[in-house]
Amino acid sequence: MNWLQNISITCFAASYAVVFALEISRIFFDVSFRKYVRVGFAAAGLFAHSVFLVLQGKLVLGSNGLWLGSWFGWCLATAWILAFAYIWISARQPKSVIGLFLIPLILGLIGLGVGFGTENQFNSIKAKSIWNMVHGFALLLGTAIVALGFVFGVVYVVQSRRLKHKSPQSKHFRLPSLEWLQKSSEYSLVISTFLLAIGLVSGIAINWTNQTDDALSGGGTIAWSNPVIWSSGILFSWLLLVSVFSFCYQPSRQGRKVAYLVIASFLFLVLELAIVWWVGHATASSKSEVAQYSKIPSISKEFHNEVGRLRI
Amino acid sequence: MNLQVIGCSHHQSSVATREQLAFTEQQIKPFLDNYYSKFPNSEVVLLSTCNRTEFYTAANKPNSVPGKSELIEFIAEQRGIAATDINSEIFIHQDRQAVEHLFSVASSLDSMVVGEAQILSQVKQAYKLAVETNQTAALIHRVFQSAIRVARRISNETEIHTNRVSVPSVAIGVLAKQIFERLDNKKILILGAGEMAEETLRYAIQEGGKDFTIINRSIENAKQLAMKFDGRVGDWNELEKELATADLVISATGATKAVVNSELFDRVEEIRKQKPIFILDLAVPRDFENSISDRLNVYLYTLDDLQKECERNRQSRQSHYPKARKIINHEADLFFNEIQRRSSGSTIAQLKRQADNAKQLELDRLMNRLEGVSEKQKSEIEQSFNRLVNKILHPPLKSLQTESPQVSGGLLEALKKLFQLGD
Repeated sequence: MNWLQNISITCFAASYAVVFALEISRIFFDVSFRKYVRVGFAAAGLFAHSVFLVLQGKLVLGSNGLWLGSWFGWCLATAWILAFAYIWISARQPKSVIGLFLIPLILGLIGLGVGFGTENQFNSIKAKSIWNMVHGFALLLGTAIVALGFVFGVVYVVQSRRLKHKSPQSKHFRLPSLEWLQKSSEYSLVISTFLLAIGLVSGIAINWTNQTDDALSGGGTIAWSNPVIWSSGILFSWLLLVSVFSFCYQPSRQGRKVAYLVIASFLFLVLELAIVWWVGHATASSKSEVAQYSKIPSISKEFHNEVGRLRI
Repeated sequence: MNLQVIGCSHHQSSVATREQLAFTEQQIKPFLDNYYSKFPNSEVVLLSTCNRTEFYTAANKPNSVPGKSELIEFIAEQRGIAATDINSEIFIHQDRQAVEHLFSVASSLDSMVVGEAQILSQVKQAYKLAVETNQTAALIHRVFQSAIRVARRISNETEIHTNRVSVPSVAIGVLAKQIFERLDNKKILILGAGEMAEETLRYAIQEGGKDFTIINRSIENAKQLAMKFDGRVGDWNELEKELATADLVISATGATKAVVNSELFDRVEEIRKQKPIFILDLAVPRDFENSISDRLNVYLYTLDDLQKECERNRQSRQSHYPKARKIINHEADLFFNEIQRRSSGSTIAQLKRQADNAKQLELDRLMNRLEGVSEKQKSEIEQSFNRLVNKILHPPLKSLQTESPQVSGGLLEALKKLFQLGD
């Protein structure tokens, strides 16, 4: 199956770009077979995306289990979840143009991943720990679901605003019902809170297990002064607050307010990820370490070349 | 084939004339029986709807269908009116025009509301009644089956039927669906028990609505409507309470001023806690104060808003009119080509038979006179005779097939006379 090794980022990014172009064309004219072409390209993109993540860069599965590899892998894995969600939404809401809002996010994440490149490798020694895997997986899924909630929230605001202003619905620009969008936003809020809570707890566990025995004998501490720790704490507190608030205060879980909450959650998440990236959390800090990790057999030379080429 | 349609419709006839010529389903059968008693050599279909009454008559032989004045006299006699009263408002279309007219009617291009779906079932019903009266009506079969197929084709290939154009259908079928994913788990509150409320409720039920409460100042009317649709009757004095739990409100009372003002809705909102609500205010004057639409999660649509949407949809339907017309023209061509092919088929067969007989006679005569001809030579001669006959017949037969039905009809008649062929 040598041809699978030749699948590159260009393959699936181009597929998603075609899907986006087809989504845009829906605004202008009708073609009966387009939905099959659109979903076909999305499925082909997802397949190429999966193969790339699993085989080409060994970005998702390392020799010892789940390993996201780097910021690059993180972005691509998040984009993969969103692409999967796109196909699911296309089946559930075939007439809606929600892809117009979702596909740019997928393409943006791929672009961001390429922008990060493979220099910022996560520490593979840490990645072997079960806590790291749980930490990485929960945060990855939580991030993707918050991003998905953001899309639902934005679409809700657009649809609600259109209905409020009594603008006619174009047959070429159909959006899901407010009820569906509200429910989807609610679910994304609750599920992402749960996943990010797991991510935070497992992060604390990693912090404890990585401390030296001396430090642990002194009772163990959490480095709250670390921007990553406090920003994660704030993000989780926000999501928890929103979930509790929604549960206790009915108006906050009605209509447009849910949409605003999921949009705000996404902005918090972006801020949190920016802080994590800025501090260099989970990445090798010294050039020597980078050099050491770049020798990891799972990251092929061709893969580095591919990313390097795309960045140019 | 001789086909004609005479009748009246909203395009050129007054309501009075249309009323005089309207037939109920029970009246159609006796009319058709009487028609066949008087004109036994033709076939007839009577199409009678709110906006039109049309008589389609057809016959194979020329002059077998009754003329316009003869038919008007007959219709007037059947309806007990004077022919002169209706004569000026009756239209007539013949042959191709009649076929195109029927195709347009069945496809609802000729309807008052272009694209309305009901007309096709009315055409089918008229056809069914005609066939029940005269089961051997072959021409009627052919033309009406084609009309039904054309109507389906236009429905599939154009969007002339897609956009809704009535206020209740736009309100429920378009707007409610943009707010609610489903209606079967929604509380529907109906204020008023008039025609508009009933019609909108009917659409809500069609879309899955199950839980509805009717409130009306006259409790008797509310009870009647509730009984008709198996709903619940609410108390007008508990309007606030009902509004507090409703998801969809259809309001069409005859009140002279707003029945729900801002203060009342403030109290309702305290209980609702900003739960989304879709309000269809179909009353004139309005039942809900306009300022209510500014509230968060309140989607208030008035009759004006809905009528604007209906008008947009009407215009959208009109934009598909040229494409539908093109389909009708094409289908009319196909229909007449097929008619022509069928009617020329027997003449062509007769001509070929006649030529074959002449060829065989001459061939036999020649063979008897020739001596010492081998089997191979006999076969060569026979093939030569065949080729000769085919070459002689090919040009006229080709002209029959390729010329337009009008021209080829004349050619067919000429062919019959020239070669002395029977009917």
